[in-house]
Amino acid sequence: MRTPTLGAFAATAVMALAVTGCGSDDDDSTTTSASTGTTAAATATVNDAAVALLPAEVKSKGTLTVAADASYPPNEFFDKDGKTIIGLDPDLAQALGTALGLKMEVKNAGFDGIIAGLASGKYDLGMSSFTDNKEREKVVNFVTYLSAGTSFFVNAQKNPAITDLASLCGYKVAVEKGTVQLDDATAQSKKCGSKKLTVLPYPDQNGANQALASGRADVSMADSPVADYQVKLSNGQLKLAGTPYGTAPYGIAIPKNLDITKALQAALKGLITDGTYQKILDKWGLEKSAAIADPVINGAQD
Amino acid sequence: MATSTPQPGEDAGDIKAVPVRHYGRWAVAAVVLVVVASLVYSAANNDRFKWDIFGDYLFSDRVMRGLWLTMWLSVVATVIGVVLGTILAVMRLSTNPVLSTISLVYIWAFRGTPVLVQIFLWAFIGSIYPEITFGVPFGGPDLISSNSNDLIKPITAAILGLGLNFAAYQAEIVRAGLLSVDEGQVEAAKALGMTGANTMRRIVLPQAMRVIIPPTGNQAIDMLKTSSLVSVIAVSDLLYSVQLIYGQNYQQIPLLFVACFWYLLLTTIFTIGQYYLERHYAKGNLRELPQTPVQRARAMAASVRFGGTGNSI
Repeated sequence: MRTPTLGAFAATAVMALAVTGCGSDDDDSTTTSASTGTTAAATATVNDAAVALLPAEVKSKGTLTVAADASYPPNEFFDKDGKTIIGLDPDLAQALGTALGLKMEVKNAGFDGIIAGLASGKYDLGMSSFTDNKEREKVVNFVTYLSAGTSFFVNAQKNPAITDLASLCGYKVAVEKGTVQLDDATAQSKKCGSKKLTVLPYPDQNGANQALASGRADVSMADSPVADYQVKLSNGQLKLAGTPYGTAPYGIAIPKNLDITKALQAALKGLITDGTYQKILDKWGLEKSAAIADPVINGAQD
Repeated sequence: MATSTPQPGEDAGDIKAVPVRHYGRWAVAAVVLVVVASLVYSAANNDRFKWDIFGDYLFSDRVMRGLWLTMWLSVVATVIGVVLGTILAVMRLSTNPVLSTISLVYIWAFRGTPVLVQIFLWAFIGSIYPEITFGVPFGGPDLISSNSNDLIKPITAAILGLGLNFAAYQAEIVRAGLLSVDEGQVEAAKALGMTGANTMRRIVLPQAMRVIIPPTGNQAIDMLKTSSLVSVIAVSDLLYSVQLIYGQNYQQIPLLFVACFWYLLLTTIFTIGQYYLERHYAKGNLRELPQTPVQRARAMAASVRFGGTGNSI
């Protein structure tokens, strides 16, 4: 009874229903940061050995779509024009693009939509401060490129006594949804007992910062580079507290069915050797300890 | 049957009427059935929908908590909106220029700014007013003073943001309803010696309800979905709950379907409520009330039962 054509129609209709009926939160304001041509990226040269590792279809396509959630300065955020995505990750993406002879198109995406977008083929790479962990490695591959911990920062006026995860009990913690910090804070809240730890998950880091500034939350947690940068920008409203914990690798997320992990790893090694990598890190004010010497494939620690 | 000539002694007046055959209806219904069946079949057999995950989370604790919050938040915001909106509409139509101006400015401000911004401002009011104080204005003594973050919790901010915005829209809906009642009704009430307030309550509002209910139902159903905006202030409603879950397990599609399932169920309940409310207020206008779906189903069952004899029309 069911003809193939009808089935195809039905499947499309259901897909359309899935998209329009429920909606998803990733906004698709597309921007290409290729035109910005940062100085650091410009110094990169084509790495022939790495190019040789690329599959033919990627070479012929010539472009990779990179997803980044531009709400996480200095790693990825919008420039003053509100369109161009700038930061550590876009710069590194462009440098990798130059090394591989590919055009990198950086698109803004909701953070928690990026991994799903990689699986569905919407994006080719995710460079958005992804911590490489075992849970995520089940869905995507990673090439590690940075070492970052989690830092605490607080409302400078209230100045709560935060030293480590255990000291969060009794406070309100604002974190961005979909981050490892949300998982850590939630896990901690279960150990707190009577001194209740309230976890406030905001859709993005801007919301969490606003909660801190308005006194709605006492403390926020973010990746160390991001926390450093927020505190620097806040004109004394916010300050770092305690010591960073849980140093873990950042990884470039790559769909399981896209065979470019080796090529990216080789290209990144080239950037580290010729100094381009360190220049990009310096440009965005990252500590020397954030740099890694040897990028690996799927380097989750937990 | 109908063509047989009546024999002597038979009742000539007994016409055997045959119901009109709707062949077009049957054809369209058949096509629709096939399309729906193929949709269901393809969805059930497509592994990418991940129905097992859909099933795992449909009744999970976090989803249930989100569902409960969406439900009561929408109801509370709608009630605030309807009550305040009705007051604003009456004020707007009042001959008292102070009242009508207050209402006008309120509607202008709350309808003119995005509800997302309103929710955000209520939630982060601590950035502007760290303390909220009730007292004598212009530097007089304080009576009650409170930290604004303690006074306005995130959930209070959500209720205020959604409810006050709803009221501005509702005011215009109620105003349209009030204007739809013929002026003769008010004149007649006056002639009977009724007071203004009494006329409004006993004569105008009940008749206006017929016009007010459908768009209000629309707004209430819209509120179910609009309430998901509270995610910006870290309140976990139904949609945000599933977003937080797929933020951890990356199963976006099945979890969004979980949310859609519950939204559709809530919308169905709201729609049924609206239907009976509409029916109630139609009393003044219709000689005979439309049948309820239950009554219609019963009537249809009856006609099928007797349809075979060709007696029913």
